[in-house]
Amino acid sequence: MNWVYEGRCWKFADNLGIDSDIMPLRFALARETRPEVLREHVMEAIEPEFHRKVAPGDIIVAGKRFGQGNPHIYGFIGIHALGLGLVVESIPRGSYRNAINAGLPFLPRCPDVLAEVSEGDQLRVNFTTGEFSNVTRGSTRTYDPLDASLLEIIAAGGWEPTLRRKLNPTTEAM
Amino acid sequence: MPKAAAEKILGRAAGKSVAAGDIVWPDPDLVTVHDYYVKNFAAALDSLGVSRVFDPDRVLISTDHEPVAVTQDGANRQKLVREIAERYGINRFYDAGRGGLGHVFPIEDGLVWPGQLVLGYDTHVTNFGAVGSLGIALVVEISEVMATGTVWVKVPETVRVDLRGQLSRGVSIRDVAQKLISILSADQVDYAVVEFGGPGLAGIGIEGRMTLCNTPCELGAKSALVEVDDLALEYLRARIERPIEPLNSDPDCRYSFRSEVDLSEIVPQVAVPPMPDLAHDVGELIGKRIHHAFIGSCASGMLQDLRDAATTLKGKKVHPSVRMYVTPASQRIAAAAAREGLLEIFVEAGAMITAPGCGVCAGGRIGPLADGEVSINTGTRNDFGRLGSEHAEIYLASPMTVAASAVAGAISDPRELVEDMT
Repeated sequence: MNWVYEGRCWKFADNLGIDSDIMPLRFALARETRPEVLREHVMEAIEPEFHRKVAPGDIIVAGKRFGQGNPHIYGFIGIHALGLGLVVESIPRGSYRNAINAGLPFLPRCPDVLAEVSEGDQLRVNFTTGEFSNVTRGSTRTYDPLDASLLEIIAAGGWEPTLRRKLNPTTEAM
Repeated sequence: MPKAAAEKILGRAAGKSVAAGDIVWPDPDLVTVHDYYVKNFAAALDSLGVSRVFDPDRVLISTDHEPVAVTQDGANRQKLVREIAERYGINRFYDAGRGGLGHVFPIEDGLVWPGQLVLGYDTHVTNFGAVGSLGIALVVEISEVMATGTVWVKVPETVRVDLRGQLSRGVSIRDVAQKLISILSADQVDYAVVEFGGPGLAGIGIEGRMTLCNTPCELGAKSALVEVDDLALEYLRARIERPIEPLNSDPDCRYSFRSEVDLSEIVPQVAVPPMPDLAHDVGELIGKRIHHAFIGSCASGMLQDLRDAATTLKGKKVHPSVRMYVTPASQRIAAAAAREGLLEIFVEAGAMITAPGCGVCAGGRIGPLADGEVSINTGTRNDFGRLGSEHAEIYLASPMTVAASAVAGAISDPRELVEDMT
């Protein structure tokens, strides 16, 4: 798995709601888990047609309490399906778990990172080392990356593939 | 290195020394699931090709969200829960009418002890911190625990809250719990365990400690713990035969944040919609007309809560335009309330007693709200739509404030009624 993402910065504010800003609530209520469906609705409440504007490798940079609200996974499945990375100032524990469960590479605690970027900047982020470079500004910061054991879950594609492999190592390997 | 209680408990369960920030795969002492999620975890195990739970003796199932089935779906669900409990050989299955609310009766029954790690489906498993047990809610990942016996857990930071002083008349521990989450910020408690200690603790019983441990999760805390003291040890020794070894924080351990609350300064609190941490002094809301009142829930359905409400209601009538529900949290609490004559006071005042469990608070499956109605109750949450109509308002308060408001037909300061009685 490639842990270094290079792409455009999509900058968002504090307190983005998991069931409102990041993904409309109706997909949680419908228990919709198909990535190809969810990817088309990521952030649409804030940035209409977001899924058409982004490219794989682009990075969402957001403020505090990204994904606050009821711990629903659907928005993270959508972000992952768009091939985006995620860098946030903070993330509540339910959404932290769900981002990992969805297999999404992210940096969970990057204080004041919003001050480091402008919308549209070219970024390079290494999710295993926490190295965060703003190519446009020529600046580099290092944040705490996720623990290696959690990166393994992300590398395996998230919660369900990891659990299936753990339960049945032989068949999953075949 | 000095350690916080949460680090010690997770270290014991992980079989190694751990510190805040570490990721561990702990071995839980108990795993709890409630009636509504049983079929989901069973379906998840089926889809994973797993035919047994990791250890049936460490699983506890309680039928508390809908103990009296009020729909055909509810009856079917109860039947399925019974079949699943039998299929997996789960002995600690507390069917309708047995234990009661799964965040309360396990403490009363001696199934919860200091240093224990409990992984639960439901957010308010944090109540177990009242006796020094670390309860962590996992929601859907409880299926992984059922299948494999573990799941990853990040060792939390600890926020320390010291209590001092004594509660004033007409003020209860629920007011303290609500005030506290309105003072603390989400940033301070995010992913942390909120730990309670200090000299004020001595005046707060185990039931009140459950209330304290119930509310921090509304603000994003991972869990809550109360320092195990003599009062807790005495309570535990009356219920548990095994040796009790408290795992309290070392005096010089590192806390990510510290706060202090003077209990004597707390006045009755009312949380306004739509979040429990939006607490205001009752004085700001006096006179707001209400239609619906409820005493109960894992936050405030304990015996002392019923005593507080009954003392306020005694010899009075619920206002003609108000309907009032009272739900003892557990079978034991219901029996004690009957012995003490509390149930008689509620019934004579015109309130309805419902089956032990979550009561109205479980999403309004019983006694919901209609459009345009206003409720004041002791439940855990006040989101719009939480108790039926999305066009209804929910105010959260202490049992005394709820009872005083039910009598007046409008939000009232219970201290006025309490003074009347003296």
